[in-house]
Amino acid sequence: MSAILEIRDIHTFIGQFHILENVSVSVPKGSITVLLGRNGAGKTTTLKSIMGITPPASGSITFNGQSLVGKRPYTIAQLGVGYVPEHRAIFRELSVRENLLVAQRGSDDFERKADAVFELFPDLKRLYSLPGGNLSGGQQQMLAIARALIPDNHLLLIDEPSEGLAPVIIEQLMAAIEKLSAQATILLVEQNFRVASKLADRFVIIDDGQSPISGAMGELIGDEALIRRYLGVT
Amino acid sequence: MTPPRNSLMQTLRENWLPAAVMLFLILFPFIVGALTDSSPMGVARGDRMVMRGESVRWQSVLIEVFILGILAMSYNLIFGFTGVISFGHALFFGLGGYILGMFLEYTGMDTGLAMVLGVVVGVAAAGIVGLIVGFVSLRLRGVYFTIFTLAVAEMCYIFFSRWQVTNAEDGFTIGSLPAWLDPTQSRLNFYYIALALFAFTYLFIRRLVNSPTGAVFKAIRENEDRAQAVGFNTLNYKLISIALAGMLAASAGMLQVILNKKVGPEVLGVSYTVDPLLMTIIGGIGTFNGPILGSAGLHLLDVFFRDATITIGETSIQIANLWGLLLGSGFILVVIIFPLGIIGTWQRWRLKARGRIAKAARPDPSMNPKTEP
Repeated sequence: MSAILEIRDIHTFIGQFHILENVSVSVPKGSITVLLGRNGAGKTTTLKSIMGITPPASGSITFNGQSLVGKRPYTIAQLGVGYVPEHRAIFRELSVRENLLVAQRGSDDFERKADAVFELFPDLKRLYSLPGGNLSGGQQQMLAIARALIPDNHLLLIDEPSEGLAPVIIEQLMAAIEKLSAQATILLVEQNFRVASKLADRFVIIDDGQSPISGAMGELIGDEALIRRYLGVT
Repeated sequence: MTPPRNSLMQTLRENWLPAAVMLFLILFPFIVGALTDSSPMGVARGDRMVMRGESVRWQSVLIEVFILGILAMSYNLIFGFTGVISFGHALFFGLGGYILGMFLEYTGMDTGLAMVLGVVVGVAAAGIVGLIVGFVSLRLRGVYFTIFTLAVAEMCYIFFSRWQVTNAEDGFTIGSLPAWLDPTQSRLNFYYIALALFAFTYLFIRRLVNSPTGAVFKAIRENEDRAQAVGFNTLNYKLISIALAGMLAASAGMLQVILNKKVGPEVLGVSYTVDPLLMTIIGGIGTFNGPILGSAGLHLLDVFFRDATITIGETSIQIANLWGLLLGSGFILVVIIFPLGIIGTWQRWRLKARGRIAKAARPDPSMNPKTEP
């Protein structure tokens, strides 16, 4: 499979702190790739570097053969990269409808897109006119993902979708993300290894701002020593 | 299918209050005329009408409310809906007034043509100045942007206060107006023109804010970085907001100079920035009706009480002497009692009453207590 996203040796600083050192990630087209690692390892910064929110000081990021380095976040989003930030980053004061509406680009048929989203997340249809801030945690996470589906994104960056959610809601979300992979390539950050191992085809371990190991998820599942060393789980 | 669009009846049911207010305002000159036994057209003196009588006086009061309402609604577009705090809104108000006045008094054109060109050029100039000021200053955030806009507006105020062409601080009177527009010839005509512009501004802003563009404005207000990550060049949207607000404020400035038939640097004064700011905060930031309530409330209070005298025993207190103090105290009270403005707080109370907020505040069954207590 050809790579839709190729990150090569990026170095990212936040203020004076050197967060990412030589991170390289390859995301094959059509795959679900998961970034694994401990808290503070640099997973979220990797996604933010792709989006241009914390742009890398050096290294290259190419998406569909096009360099993303130096581009503003809105330009990167317009190229077809959808970003679902951590902590269910919806617009809390906007209604569910408006949250979806802001994601519309060009002359897309919003109603049709919204209907497709409601098939995936039926709860949102019922809550259409409510402010986003009044939704439950799981519903907000669904809305955050739904927002990234309104434009025709080719790549979705999803940061910690299961964070703080009950197991039953996580199951629903993961089923939705699995369905999404038919439409778009997914790069996921996920702390919950059990969830990630069921969902992803490929993994990249981010450890202390570096990316020492990557490969097929099946290889990682069979390597308990590796899991214990980098993820601290057994 | 997405939830169905509102039917006409539903739209009317949801908007009965603005529709009722509009109907009342249309009939207002005649209601006052009937109640006070005065003609809405004024008093006949020979072959002409003199603008006297209670109905005409109250038309003038409401025209001022409409002007302040348009100004406050335009300010609410950038401040309330887009989250950009500008201290230079008087620039647009004054610019509109000056350009129209200069077309009418300085070009020597036919009055009708000067009027049309003055309105078109004035509104366009306000939009262009908004784009320029915004383009230069919107890269700054927060207080730096606010100070920049204040500085630009004050520069213009000082310029027109010293520009001899427009008689510096004295300003100039507008002697030639089309008869149909001249408030000294027919206050009623001008009342309906001002009301039409007021209603247009209200509907335009409602339509805009409920459109996809308006949703982006509100998204920027809530979190600009997040709006960028969704794919919006937020600078462009803020420019659109400031240019449109500037154009609407310029039209309010034009109404003001036509009503007073005078243009002077006071139309560029900081009070035309502070007043809409206070009106918006008191009425409700980011609500459609808040700026209208704020402008009507403050102006009517001013009309009713500014010249009043309170007598306690042998002591008489002129309210005019204490007006600023009373207004400031009232503002502090309103902000404490209605932290989201009158309309905003009322809407919050209504939501609470419906139990939505209470429901949202209850422990969320979808949250995992182990990971997010």
